[in-house]
Amino acid sequence: MATVLGKKKTVRINGCVAAAQAAKYADVDVIAAYPIRPYTATMMALAQMVANGELDAEYIVADSEHSQLSIAHGASSSGARVFTGSSGVGVHFAFELYSPISGSRMPVQMMIADRTLDPPGDFGSEHTDALATRDMGWLMGWSCDAQEAFDNHLMGYRIGEDPRVLLPQMVCQDGFFVSHITSEVDLPDPGQVKEFLPPYKHPYPLDPRHPVSHGPQIMPEQGPPLQLERARAMEGSMPVIEEIHEEFAKIFGRRYDPWIEEFMTDDADVVFFLQGAHAVTGRYAIRHMRERGAKVGLVRLRTFRPYPTDRVREVLSKFKVVGVIETNMGLGSVSSGGSLYAEVCGALYESDRRPLVHSFMAGMGGEAIVLKEFYWMTQKMLEAQKRGKIEKRTHWVGFED
Amino acid sequence: MSTQGTHIPDWLQVPFAGITPAPSQKGQDLFPTGNWRAIRPVYRDKMPPCNNGCGANEKIQGYLDLVKRGKYLDAYALIKEDMPFPSITGRVCYHPCEQACNRGQHDEAISIRAVERFLGDFGQALPRDVVRAGPPNGKKIAVVGSGPAGHSAAYQLARLGYEVTILEKSPKAGGLNRGGIPDWVLPRDVLDREIERLVELGITIKTNTEVGKDVTWDDLKRNYDACVLAVGLTEPNSVRAEGEDKNGVLYGLPFLRDIGMGTSRVTLGPRVVVIGGGNTAIDCAREAFRQGAQEVTMITVEGNAGEMPCVPEDLHDMLEEGVELLHERAMTAVLGNGKVEALQLHPARFSGAINASPIAVDRAAPAERFAADTVIIAVGQHASLKWLPDQFKTERGTIRVDRFGRLGETNVFAAGDIVQAGSGQPLMVVNAVGDGKRVAFNLDKVLSAEPLQPRTIPLDVVTDLGRMNMTYFPHFPRVQQALLPPTSRRRTQDEVIQAFTEEQAVEEANRCFSCGTCNACDNCYLVCPEPCIVRSVRSNGLYKILVDYCKGCRVCIEECPTGCLEGVPELDFDTGVVRMDTAFAITQGLHGRQAEELRRVADQAAKDIEHWR
Repeated sequence: MATVLGKKKTVRINGCVAAAQAAKYADVDVIAAYPIRPYTATMMALAQMVANGELDAEYIVADSEHSQLSIAHGASSSGARVFTGSSGVGVHFAFELYSPISGSRMPVQMMIADRTLDPPGDFGSEHTDALATRDMGWLMGWSCDAQEAFDNHLMGYRIGEDPRVLLPQMVCQDGFFVSHITSEVDLPDPGQVKEFLPPYKHPYPLDPRHPVSHGPQIMPEQGPPLQLERARAMEGSMPVIEEIHEEFAKIFGRRYDPWIEEFMTDDADVVFFLQGAHAVTGRYAIRHMRERGAKVGLVRLRTFRPYPTDRVREVLSKFKVVGVIETNMGLGSVSSGGSLYAEVCGALYESDRRPLVHSFMAGMGGEAIVLKEFYWMTQKMLEAQKRGKIEKRTHWVGFED
Repeated sequence: MSTQGTHIPDWLQVPFAGITPAPSQKGQDLFPTGNWRAIRPVYRDKMPPCNNGCGANEKIQGYLDLVKRGKYLDAYALIKEDMPFPSITGRVCYHPCEQACNRGQHDEAISIRAVERFLGDFGQALPRDVVRAGPPNGKKIAVVGSGPAGHSAAYQLARLGYEVTILEKSPKAGGLNRGGIPDWVLPRDVLDREIERLVELGITIKTNTEVGKDVTWDDLKRNYDACVLAVGLTEPNSVRAEGEDKNGVLYGLPFLRDIGMGTSRVTLGPRVVVIGGGNTAIDCAREAFRQGAQEVTMITVEGNAGEMPCVPEDLHDMLEEGVELLHERAMTAVLGNGKVEALQLHPARFSGAINASPIAVDRAAPAERFAADTVIIAVGQHASLKWLPDQFKTERGTIRVDRFGRLGETNVFAAGDIVQAGSGQPLMVVNAVGDGKRVAFNLDKVLSAEPLQPRTIPLDVVTDLGRMNMTYFPHFPRVQQALLPPTSRRRTQDEVIQAFTEEQAVEEANRCFSCGTCNACDNCYLVCPEPCIVRSVRSNGLYKILVDYCKGCRVCIEECPTGCLEGVPELDFDTGVVRMDTAFAITQGLHGRQAEELRRVADQAAKDIEHWR
């Protein structure tokens, strides 16, 4: 049996299915699955593909996310291309595996359809599930629609498996807003994928004929060089990421800035800074406000790890006020709001033209950020610009006048 | 870029980041899958206590294992390496192996002798024996005596290719096997068949040929390349009592010999007394019933039955047959007018080791009179070596040999009771067989001009159940051999102890622990958590440990029922690379390097501080 790919075509699918399609186009060898909504739809789509004979892969249903990621780790160690995924608390149940997988430099790919962490059970999207794992050595970034999700999955494999990188990737999309909203997605020609993504070949796979050590016990003195190597790999991935985005644009015709997407930021005084699906609503709101003369724009972060510190500083230094839309929990953090604020301010610290920065707690629990909330936040930013200082660091949108 | 300008010293470089930590290349070559194994499992078969206890060092664990698997022919061939006549020792042996058997500490010892008899009878039924004479080497050997030691020596020498002639003074071959062991223990036809097997090996047996009478010492040296003296102890000891010359006074071994060889008609009175408490005395007492005695009493100097120098089972069987015991007495005179009418007894005490101790008789105490018609004196025997030059005799009247059984620098060797008497070793058939075997091999070395090696005593005998995993051995009773009922058997020459059936032999062999020796139980193969134990065929010696994968977890060692798997520290391996050369560096590896750098820190720091000013 071999994986069957059709001709280039446009289909109407949601983000979950787009991720599954990307796994199929990447011709993954092993799928480690364990159900949790909203990721379940991806798992289901892949199960159908394997059952239909479209995808030739080992489909393993684990008994928990911890096992699921352990299976992914083992499979990747043997040299397989691995696809896995989860949501919300499921992401956290597998937490133990994130550092070992990146530490052993296994380019496992994990699809995350964000889900609010408990309590209580809430299916809505909040980025806290993935963001909590942000420093574990995984490449990480958010898509804002199904097409971008498809493209990010393909690029994720190519970047992570690059011998200069060899790191796992979390390819994130907002639960519901991307995962369950159907939109048009261009599925590429198999020849394009073949050209872009060569078969995965690990330099030292586990192989009974050629014994090697993976992750043995080490002495304390051997710890620092291994950590330094992992830091080098993470930093060293930055030029590779740029190179591969360029190559992707050449082959598939869709060009993404790997780090930051700017929307209507020319001559803008105030900008939103966010990740993921709320950019879609944000763009509409900004277009509406621009028509009414407000100098407002939107900056969307596409890659969160490695974090493009210099690029964030360069871009945001152009503006007077920045409003960070968090969509995540950073309880008791720098801003006592979300964790993205600290990442933004950290990048801006060395700037000689530091803008004012707000943290907006919006879209929590998977609630939509409606247009009037974008207008309200813009109002807050414009007031701060006029005043020359912020009223307070963090605003809980929808709960203040 | 935070990692800009960083460098990792050579000695901490990893071959491939994240995959393998930084061992030295040597270490990586030696332990490609890691270096956390401190011990390595090694199969090392040790000496089972039965093999060690056996006077002939039979490979007992080995043949029990084969019987377990139904491989009787292989088992018989294995036993025949050390034992020429398992059908005989399977009946007569005092089985030191069973006393040594570890199973005795667990429930009951293995009935090894019964399994040996099963194999011996199996071998007797074969139309041709499995053993062949060796390719002839043209050298002629004389073996004097056809008892256990002579039989064994002749057998082993024939297998080595010598042309062997046995000189036997009696009209029939067999020595002590024929003349010292009653028919109801060892049936005549069994012995005859074993003698036939010797003839089948090409051995010439000259009966009615006595050294010192028919053949001289010089003849022996002149006509043969070498010879083995296995003449045994033929002359009965006296108790030095008054009136021992009276009619009705018999001696143990000649009494049995006359019956066994049929050389003389034996007649007993109704009341028989046996003097002595050893195994021969017991055989005499039991034989007396079979020869028509009405009452048999055994008089011993020992304080009680437990002190008698005999095998407990035989003592038990004798008492069952109705022999009475009278302890702490010595016969000081035989009373009667020309023939035995009564015995005079005095209190006595026996102290000291077997074969070599004085008897203290209290002649001041009042004498006892014990009515009897026949007295059989069975208090040991001594040698008759008038024909041997004095230089080769000991003060005890036995043959003086070196530790190889050799008489000085001659090509003459001696084996069996004639050498061992008085050595403190119990005189047993199996010890004589072992002696004959070792002397045969030593003789071969001398004639081949090879250096003689002293017999090494195995140090690694498994006598400690702690070395084995006893959870694998449930308690299971010993299979008992059936015995004829005491009342009927004491009047017949029928064999008292009955043979094992095939099922019984297999069941009993199955009880063997296989102490310290791999019996291919497959446990290690099954319990290894990595599968790093492999075997082509399920057989001892064919299990291999893939050390590239072994993590030294000890599971196979702990779970080895027999204790043949051992953990050997990696540092003990003479591979030229020590384990510590890998990540666990202590002396030469990484820590060593770091320690060296740390020693230099003090000097460097002072200079740096200077520079900072």
